[in-house]
This record gives sequence, structure tokens and C-alpha cells, in this order.
Amino acid sequence: MKTMLLALAVLFLLTSTVLAADPVRVGFISVLSGPLAPIGKSELNATQMAVEDYGPVLGQKVQLFPKDHNYNPGLANERAKELYEKDNVDAIVACSNSAAALAVSDQADRHKRLFMSTSAGTTDLIGKNRYTFKMNYNDFMLANTVGRWGAKNLGKRWYTITSDYAWGHDLLKHFTNALKEEGGTHVGNDMVPVNTSDYSPYILKAARAKPDVLVLLNVGKDAVNSTKAAVEYGLGKSVKIVHALLFELDIKGAGLETFAGDYTAAPWNWVVNQPGSREWADKYYKAHGDRPTFMAAAAYDATWQYLDAVKRANSQDPDKVIKALEGHTFKNFFTNPGYIRPEDHLEMTNAFLLRVKQPDQVKEKEDYFEVVGTLAAGKAQPPVGLFKTLK
Amino acid sequence: MGFSRRSSRREDLGKTRGRACRPPGIWIMEIQFIGAQLFNGLMLGSFYVLLSLGLSIIFGMLGVVNFAHGALYMLGAYAAYSVCTLCSLNFWLALIIAPLVVGIIGMITESTLIKRLYPFPHFFNLLLTFGLMLFIEEGIRVLFSPIGKPFNTPVALVGSTDLGFMLFPKYRIFIILVTAFCAVGIWLFLTKTKLGSIIRAGTDDSEMVSALGINISKTFTLVFGIGAALAGLAGVLAAPVQNVTPEMGNAILTETFVVVIIGGMGSILGSILGGLIIGELVTLGVVFWPPVANTLIYVFMAIILLVRPRGFFGRAKFFE
Amino acid sequence: MKSSLHKWLFFGLVATLFVLLPFLTPYHSLATEMLIFAIFAVGYDIIFGYAGLLSFGHAIFFGIGAYGTGLVLVRLVPSLFLALVIAIGISLLVSSIIAFLSIRIRGIYFVMITLAFCQMFYFIAFKWKGLTGGDNGFHGVPRTSFGPINLNSEITFYFFILAIFCLSVLLAFRIVRSPFGRVLRALKENEDRARSVGYNTTRFKTIAFMISAFFASLAGGLYAVHSNFVPLDTLSINMSGDVVIMALLGGIGTLYGPILGAMLIVYLKNLLSNWIGNWNLILGAIFIISVLTMRQGVFPVIFSKLKEKL
Repeated sequence: MKTMLLALAVLFLLTSTVLAADPVRVGFISVLSGPLAPIGKSELNATQMAVEDYGPVLGQKVQLFPKDHNYNPGLANERAKELYEKDNVDAIVACSNSAAALAVSDQADRHKRLFMSTSAGTTDLIGKNRYTFKMNYNDFMLANTVGRWGAKNLGKRWYTITSDYAWGHDLLKHFTNALKEEGGTHVGNDMVPVNTSDYSPYILKAARAKPDVLVLLNVGKDAVNSTKAAVEYGLGKSVKIVHALLFELDIKGAGLETFAGDYTAAPWNWVVNQPGSREWADKYYKAHGDRPTFMAAAAYDATWQYLDAVKRANSQDPDKVIKALEGHTFKNFFTNPGYIRPEDHLEMTNAFLLRVKQPDQVKEKEDYFEVVGTLAAGKAQPPVGLFKTLK
Repeated sequence: MGFSRRSSRREDLGKTRGRACRPPGIWIMEIQFIGAQLFNGLMLGSFYVLLSLGLSIIFGMLGVVNFAHGALYMLGAYAAYSVCTLCSLNFWLALIIAPLVVGIIGMITESTLIKRLYPFPHFFNLLLTFGLMLFIEEGIRVLFSPIGKPFNTPVALVGSTDLGFMLFPKYRIFIILVTAFCAVGIWLFLTKTKLGSIIRAGTDDSEMVSALGINISKTFTLVFGIGAALAGLAGVLAAPVQNVTPEMGNAILTETFVVVIIGGMGSILGSILGGLIIGELVTLGVVFWPPVANTLIYVFMAIILLVRPRGFFGRAKFFE
Repeated sequence: MKSSLHKWLFFGLVATLFVLLPFLTPYHSLATEMLIFAIFAVGYDIIFGYAGLLSFGHAIFFGIGAYGTGLVLVRLVPSLFLALVIAIGISLLVSSIIAFLSIRIRGIYFVMITLAFCQMFYFIAFKWKGLTGGDNGFHGVPRTSFGPINLNSEITFYFFILAIFCLSVLLAFRIVRSPFGRVLRALKENEDRARSVGYNTTRFKTIAFMISAFFASLAGGLYAVHSNFVPLDTLSINMSGDVVIMALLGGIGTLYGPILGAMLIVYLKNLLSNWIGNWNLILGAIFIISVLTMRQGVFPVIFSKLKEKL
């Protein structure tokens, strides 16, 4: 009788400690309103998918706290504070906009919780602090891939049109280095304010310089406008056009004819021939009605990696999770093979060179790209020590 | 980088002046390049002309600094989108319908909201239009979508024409022509018609005009409508060339203020000349001196405000 | 006797609310932010509500305060007091120059020129990446101790800001009740008359402008330490517009109006933007209605209605 009571008491204590343990809380910040909302929403969709697919962690359902930062760094900073202080999240994922991501990274360091940065590209996030993990792509990888592969395969004379803000400057710096190393010539550059509508002055300047390749270091509406102007002035025929970042969304908005034949680089695209890619893209398509961008895929991957690390560490304690993430190798639909470098918390993703199809090549909805080359992580990503390292 | 290449070329040309001439091909390229940029400046200037004309007559006659002018421009573009894409009508109809729609919206706004604040200090109406700007912009985001809409050049105007010394996109020439037509039309309306002379008189002294028994209230509404319609027209013309987004009016609004101040509040000639000059300044600034291209016009505006606040052609009266 | 009891009860209630504020808001930092913008707005009331000058450029001083404080803390000396003093000093200098150039310009043109200056400062900060971080913003502003007080805890920081807030509000009240304040109100009503009586209205307006810049830069400096980060849009026209809205909605010319207006808007922005994406729609609508029907401001109207009832 006494032993049974004792056993019951012990059992009760055990279950109550398990129940009293906090569920894993994951915060999400990205752009959910305004012109870039589709990207942020796709990231949120993917993050939610990852949480559902992974299932319970440490015996409890994972809680997700999505927040909108409206592409504003000041707001992102406040949301990060709110997430870490009020919602008590263990990790934050995503966060587009490099300035915003840097702010969130600082908050992660202050509050000693994790930040899995996916959508911002700045290399300042590499090795920034031990709580920050740079997942997905980074500006060096994009510029390096495009510069090296392009100089070998597309031509040696390059003209750049750069969005005049931190991200554009970052890309330009890495790009010109890569180009120089491959023996190319940088014949000219224009810094263009973000959200410029009329790119004709710059396209005229570019045409005058007679490049082989026109590189557009911009994104979104700027990518669309600059390409439209290039096509308007006939540049699309004589010169090859390369984009830093190009999404199906932009192509849909402006029309495939505008972008046909253009090149870009990405760590993933739904058409790449990797195990699991097509299935995941189909699953996303069935749930949301359009194809996922690599931003979405990266958000899924980062969330999954975090939850998996918590499981491996068997704890939410940030230090234990960090140890579980460092040096982790894996294979999934997004990165195959994948590796998280312990020296600077960089996810070593591979790079794909993509070309926009001609209208008659398109076989299904949003089938805009074809893979024309690959660059393994070792070649595409920066070597250890090029940027900051930890310890 | 393009800039430094140009200066080296100039030095080269200087050296060879005494000797054999440079091959004419280089000159042609330079002329083509500068010519194309100047034409771009004219196009940008056209938008400024249309917008500043509207802003100027609204301020001149009503004393209202219309912070919502950029929003009206944006409404014009969205009206054109609605007409062309949602109602599947052609661009030419949109060119007529959209400005009318925006003009009517302007008249309704004036008679229901803005009118109420005439008895109060001017800045209340400024703040009202500021609030309207926020509301309209966000309203369009809700009604359409925050992403923006695609808008293609009308088929008849696609492609470039050969102007002899260079190629230039047909649609941009169209913009310049339409603006010139409107500017002349407005000038004729204001100088040759009775209503126009009332408006000109009202711009000078609205109290006196109403003392003469003329229904100044209706005229005010009409003037606001005309100003709004001009902004709407600029929006329609801009739709194929700029992005049709809810934010498209913001940047161009502050630039239009610069034009109106430099040209002179309330002056038609000032708006036209000011618009063209600023259009060229901005375009050439972007080409030759990119780092400060944006700031340059604000510095210019500040200088004008300090040295000659009425602008080049403004009336001294508005220097309050 | 009864009215003074009412007054003490009222003050007691207000004081209790302020002390409990961090626990009433969703998270502590929000309460701090509400007070920071209240400091910004109460200073702005002096130039807009009392001197009658509508400035669309006060983000300049908020930004100088923020960047200045951040830069001193990171690059010079980790002393919060010194950083604030230097940043405010720079802001006063800049405001005196801007005032010298523009105060004489009357009416709408003054609004335009403050707008132009704001854009200029924004672009300068954008381009001068080495100093300000450009559009990345200025990161890594430490929360150094103020003397013996450790400010790392959000609660401690709130009470520190509360103390500064109380001092600021007291200062604003003193300024406005003083002879200087009376002259401001006179020249707001009729500048020519004030000048004809012999007052150097330009000098008074300049000093009022500089005082409002003082409050703005103090708020900016505190904001930098609060966020550990200075985003570029502290210098934007949006920020300038925000403080105009806060002051006008709250009720210009009352001092308490802009304070409450600022606190309300910061709180609502946070509350609503989590649920509704289109917060600006509601703000725009409230602003339009307020300008049309409640020109004195929301709070003065509410309070006068309450007074009638009580």
C-alpha cells in the first residue's frame, strides 16, 4: 500500500514536471504586408509546414509566433524584443531585409536566444555572434557564383547596375572580386536608388559601354523595371542579362517575354533535380496554389534544423542546441549535402545556375527556370575566415 | 565609372583638335547618348509639368497645399488599370475616363471635406490632405493589393521611332506630346475663356472675386477638380512606364513640391518651365553626378526658399 | 477644498498609472517607447502648439539625438550622460542654423523648407555609411549604466525613463507658463501685433524651435539606448509626420495632449499592427476626422465633455 502510494507520488511528480516543461516556442519575423508580402507569406507558410511536419518536440506541440516587420528594421528590432521578452521564444527564424536581420541578431545576442537567419543576405551575419546562424544564401555566395560561372560561360565584359543600398553595395563588392579573379573586366557601374521606376538613363549608359553581360544587382520591382528598360532599348538581344535575385513572382508580374533567356543563381529552385525537391514543391503547391520560392524552402529547412537540433540536444537550452547545430551534416530536399559550419555558423548550401525559359519551353504552371549549372558549397561559399569567425 | 571614362575621352578630343579630326562615329555616339538622356529628361519633366500645374492652381486659388496630390496621381494609374484590365477597354478610353474619374473624386473631396476648413489657418487643410494621402494610399492597398499591378504599353505605341539622329521609344514621345497639348490647352482655357479669367482673378484675390457676386465656391470645386484631373492624367500616362503601386505617388510628390516652389506657387508658366528644368536636372544629375542626384534638387529648393521664396515666376503675395 | 482634494486624487491616479504602466502593456519595452515619444511630442507642442510653426522636419533632431548618442557610446566614451549631452548639443547647434536660415519665412513655405531639410539630412545619413551605417542603421548601441544604476533590466530602464520624462514635462510646463511662453502665444495669435509692440519675434521663434529640438534629440538619444539600434528611418519624413500626427491628435497647445497622443499612438500601432496589416487606414481616418471635427484634439474634447458631466 505504502509503496503503491509512493509510486503514484513519484509518477505524479514526473508527469507534472514533464507537463510543466515549456513547449518549444519558435518566433517568426518577416515581411507580411506591403509590396514584398508574397515572399514573407511564402516563408510563413513553409515555416508552418515545417512545424506541422516535424511534429511534437520534447513531448509537446511546438508553438509558432509569427510577426510582421513590414520590411522595416526599426519594427523588426521591436518585434524581436517582443518575441524574446513577451512571448519568450527560444528561437526566431527568417527575417528578410539585411538591416532588420542585423538588429534581430543583436537582440538574439542580448537575450541569449537563437536566431536562424534565412532571408537576409548580408555577409555581416556570418559569424556575427554565437546565437546567430546564417542559413540559406548569402550575398557572397550569389555574387561569387554568378561572377565565376558567368565569366567562364557568358562573357568577359560586365556592366553592373546596382541598387543603392547596403545589400546592393555588398553584392557589388563580392561580385567585382569574383569577376577580377576570373579575368573579367568590369566596364562600368551605376548606383540606382531603390524603387526607381525609370531605368532608361542607366540602360543607355550601359549600352554605351558595350558589355557582354549586364548584371542587375537588384531585386523585386527594381529587377523588373531595369529588365523592362533593357528590353525596351533592345539590349536584351545583344547582351546577356544576369540577375542577383529573381523570383517566379517577378516573372509572373512582368511577363515571361521580358525575362526569357536571363540568368540567375539560387541555392534552390523547385525544378532542381534533388531527391525530395519535387515532392516538397508539389506538397506546397497543393496547399497554397503556387510554387515555393527558395526563401520558403530555406525557412522550412531552418525551422526543421532548429527543431531537429532541439531533439538531438534533448533540451531547449540555447547552449545545448547551439552545440547540436554546429558541425551537423544532413541531406534534405533543400541542401544535399548540407553542413553547418561550427567556425561561423554558416549553412553550406550549394548553388544552382538558372536560366529563364523561353515561352515555348514552359510545360506547366510557374515552370519558368531551367538549371544550367551547379557550383558546390565548397566553391560557392566563402572560405572560413573571409568573414567573421566565432571563438 | 562611366563618368571617368568620359572625362578621359574629352581630354583625348582636346589633344587631337589641332590635328586630324576624330572619326565621326564617336561624336554620333555622344550626341545619341546625350540626346537620349535629354529626351528622358523631357519625359520626366512632362510628369512634373502635369503634376505641378495641378498643385499650383490648387494652391494659387484655394490656398491649399495638397499633400494628397501624389495619391491622386496614383489613383489615376489605378483607374487606368481598372479600365484597361478589369473592364477590358482600351488604353485610349482609359486616357479619357481615368482623369475624369480622378477629377470627380477631387471635386467630391473638395466640396465635402476641404471646404469646411477654409475659415481656419491654412495648415489645417494641409494636414487634412496629409491624412487623406495616408488614407487613400492604404485604401488602395486594401482594395487592390499591396503588390502593385502590371501595366503594359499600349500596342500601338510599342517600339521606337527613328528620329534621324537617334532611336527613341514611341510611348515616351507620346507622353511629351500629350503633356504639351494639355499645357497649351490649360493656358488657352485660362487666358481665353470667361471661366478661365475668373480663375485667374480668383488666384489673385479670391475675396474680391466673390465680392463681385461670382459664385466662388463652385469655382473652387472646379479648380480642385481640374488639378486632380491633371494629376490623374499624369498617373495614366505613367502607368506603362512607372510601377503601378500604392506608393508610386510618394516620391514624386516631394519632387513636385520642389518644382512648384522653384517655379512659383500659383504660376502656370512657372510650373511648366520649372517642371521641364527639374526633369532635365534630375535626369542629367543621375547620369553625370549620381551620388548627389537626389539631394541636389532639395538643396536647390532650399536655396530658392532662402533667396527668393516666391520662386521664379510666383507672385510676391504668397510670400505671406 | 473639495476641488483641491479632487486634484490630489487625480494626480495620484495619474502617478499610479504611470508607475504601473510597464505591467499594463503587453511587454515592458512598449511602455518605455510610449514615454520616449511623449518626450518628443511635448517638445514639439512648444513649436507647433505654442509658437504656431508647423515643422515637418523634426525627425532631423530626433535622428541627430539618436545617432549622436549611439556614436558617442560606441566610438568615444561609454557614458550615457555625456553621450546625451553631446548629442543634444549638436542638435541645438543644427537647429540654430536651420532656424537662422528659415524662421523668417512664414506660412506654407516654412513647412516646405523643413521638409526639404529633412530629406537632405536623410540622404546625407543614407550616403555617409561610415558614420551612420547607411540604410543598415547604426547597430550595437550599448545600454551602459547611468552612474551606479544598471539599466539592463527593462523595468529599471523604464523607471529611469520615467524619471527623465517627469523632468521633461516639468520643464515644458515651466517654459510654457513663463513670460517667454506668454510671448509665444501672443505671437502665434498675431505676429505683426507682437512685433509692433516691440518683441523680436524672430528671436522668440528661434528659441522655441531650439527648445523643441532639445526635447526631440533627448527623445532620440533615449530611443537609441532603448533599441540598441538606430534605424535610418529615425530621420525620415515619416517620423516627422508621426510626431505631427501625435501632437495634433492629442491636442496642440495643451502639453498634456501631445503626451497622451504620443502614448496612445505608439500603443495602438503596436496593438493593431499585430492584428491588422492596414493600420494606416485607421490612423488616416482618425486623423481626417480629428482635423475636421476635433481641431483642438481628441483629449481636450474628451476632457471638456467629461468636465461638463462632472
